[in-house]
Amino acid sequence: MNILRLAWKNIWRNKVRSGVILSAIAIGLFAGTFLLSFMQGWILGTVNSDIKTQYSHVQIHNADFLANYDVNAFFMREDVENEIRRGVARNAPTAEIAFRLNLNGMLASPHNAIGVTAKGVFEDEEILVTDVWQQIPDTMGVFLNDDTRMAIVISSRVADRLRVRLRSRIVFTFQDVHGDMQSIAFRVGGIYRTTNAIFDEANVFVRYSDIFSYTGLPEGAVHEAAVLLPDIETSNIVAPQLREMFPDMSVQDWSQMNPALSMYFSYTKFMGVVILGIFLFALSFGIINTMLMAVLERTRELGMLGAIGMSKRQIFSMIMLETVFLTLLGGIVGIILGIAVVLPTMETGIDLSFFMEDQFEDFGFASVVYPILNIKMLAEIVVLVILAGILSALYPARKALQLKPLEAMRQ
Amino acid sequence: MQKIIEIKDLVKIFKDTAQEVVAVDHVSLNISAGEFTTIVGPSGSGKTTLLNLIGGLDTPTSGSLHVDGKDISLLTEREMTTFRLHHIGFVFQAYNLIPVLTAKENVAFVMELQGRKKEEIDKRATELLEAVGLGDRMNSRPSKLSGGQQQRVAVARALASKPKFVLADEPTANLDSKSAENLLDIMERLNKQEGVTFVFSTHDPRIVAKARRIIALEDGKVVSDKSV
Repeated sequence: MNILRLAWKNIWRNKVRSGVILSAIAIGLFAGTFLLSFMQGWILGTVNSDIKTQYSHVQIHNADFLANYDVNAFFMREDVENEIRRGVARNAPTAEIAFRLNLNGMLASPHNAIGVTAKGVFEDEEILVTDVWQQIPDTMGVFLNDDTRMAIVISSRVADRLRVRLRSRIVFTFQDVHGDMQSIAFRVGGIYRTTNAIFDEANVFVRYSDIFSYTGLPEGAVHEAAVLLPDIETSNIVAPQLREMFPDMSVQDWSQMNPALSMYFSYTKFMGVVILGIFLFALSFGIINTMLMAVLERTRELGMLGAIGMSKRQIFSMIMLETVFLTLLGGIVGIILGIAVVLPTMETGIDLSFFMEDQFEDFGFASVVYPILNIKMLAEIVVLVILAGILSALYPARKALQLKPLEAMRQ
Repeated sequence: MQKIIEIKDLVKIFKDTAQEVVAVDHVSLNISAGEFTTIVGPSGSGKTTLLNLIGGLDTPTSGSLHVDGKDISLLTEREMTTFRLHHIGFVFQAYNLIPVLTAKENVAFVMELQGRKKEEIDKRATELLEAVGLGDRMNSRPSKLSGGQQQRVAVARALASKPKFVLADEPTANLDSKSAENLLDIMERLNKQEGVTFVFSTHDPRIVAKARRIIALEDGKVVSDKSV
């Protein structure tokens, strides 16, 4: 016990030197904590917003559909609906499911024409699965739930390119099951804008009941079932179960639908640890230097301690403890500072648009980041800090171990 | 009186690249419990080397060295450290104290290393500091104490472990004459009242005068050994 106390007091014998290295460690760990929270928040925010807007957690298609979005590659809603509900009931009783038609075609105004995917949705179930309806500003109409006949919901980016406004008439042209071209006139009933420009430019929404009769498909046919689960962890459990239940269909989870995002997701976690590791590695040289100085300038005193009967093991422990205390103290101060800065921004978010304008959104990243602090991550940081402390302590403590009391006192 | 240090034919040779220096040359002597003995001699006469050998800080080249009946030249380094902790008290010329600890904590430290009980440590540290006249400075750090006061704390520390004897290598070398005399008076009183055995080296004639046995060394040999 006395060695713990002595080690603690020894840290403070050179306040300036200990202060400098403490600050370095604290700043490093502050930056590390903030960076990790920020990166995780950014990527998880992007993943979750993409899941909520675009992919859902799991999508089920006819096995042939994804190859070239063939209108003929459909399945019957009544064949699968109950089975899907049964499949998710155990792990995700609150899961929501939406069925859709997916029709690729051209959307034309008098000014322009662009290729889009028209999703024929059941609006009541669609609003429970995706949040596009929430991305329609108050003055920009509604998501198919008013009495506008033949309504279509498009994004503001599509509206700009077609140079149309709310209530404008536009024509959607696509190939039906027989290979015949069908042109249908719609009226813009809502204009949405998400943080993902790529999604916005490709997707428009119409009522299933409005478009179904033009497709030539049998009654009840759909192209896609989208399943929204409580979170990514649940998705990792449910997706394989659904895959087993529907061996003849394509069952994809969010990471398969967007492998790049999934890769970013894993990569960010990994990079966070690597960056923190590099921080600590660099810091450990500072720690070694400080402790080495502390040992060398105390040579005579360490010799005296050995002479009056302090064992080598005790002297070694003392130097180890001093180093670990120093590192841990700086680390904890840094982490607390990091938490103090991250906590308030977890609710409000950090708006990056001030220095990059729309560029994040153009690449599908949200421009407001909500940093994430998770206990597991903080625990990992603390473990890394202690590890760095112990490793940096070894060399100085070994130096102290090599001292012979008599020779040390003679210096 | 019981012999606590028995030295027979003790030799210590330092090997330099160029030459061999015989620092202690066939020294034989005994020291008994309760002695107040000084080792004198010009610098280079081997006083410090002899004290280091007796204190188990150095190993002899040949000869035997028994402390309390035990041949300490046979102990391993680790056993030697433990032996020093429990049997020998040290007062060095300088750098005796741990600067971050108070006077009382410095005295207590050795007893903590010995693993004594907290109440006992506290009581003894207080008693010893009072005995060396520092009852009012117990919570001062060494930097707030004068050189003489620091050496008195060192004496209290040396006694704290209840050693068989206290070795003091030129304890007054860095002190002014008044402090030196004061320190010696305290050591003498502890020797008489508590029966603590002191062996110290010095080349200050006024200090020598206080000793009851004077062993004179020259070129590593005992040239005179007088009791007064």
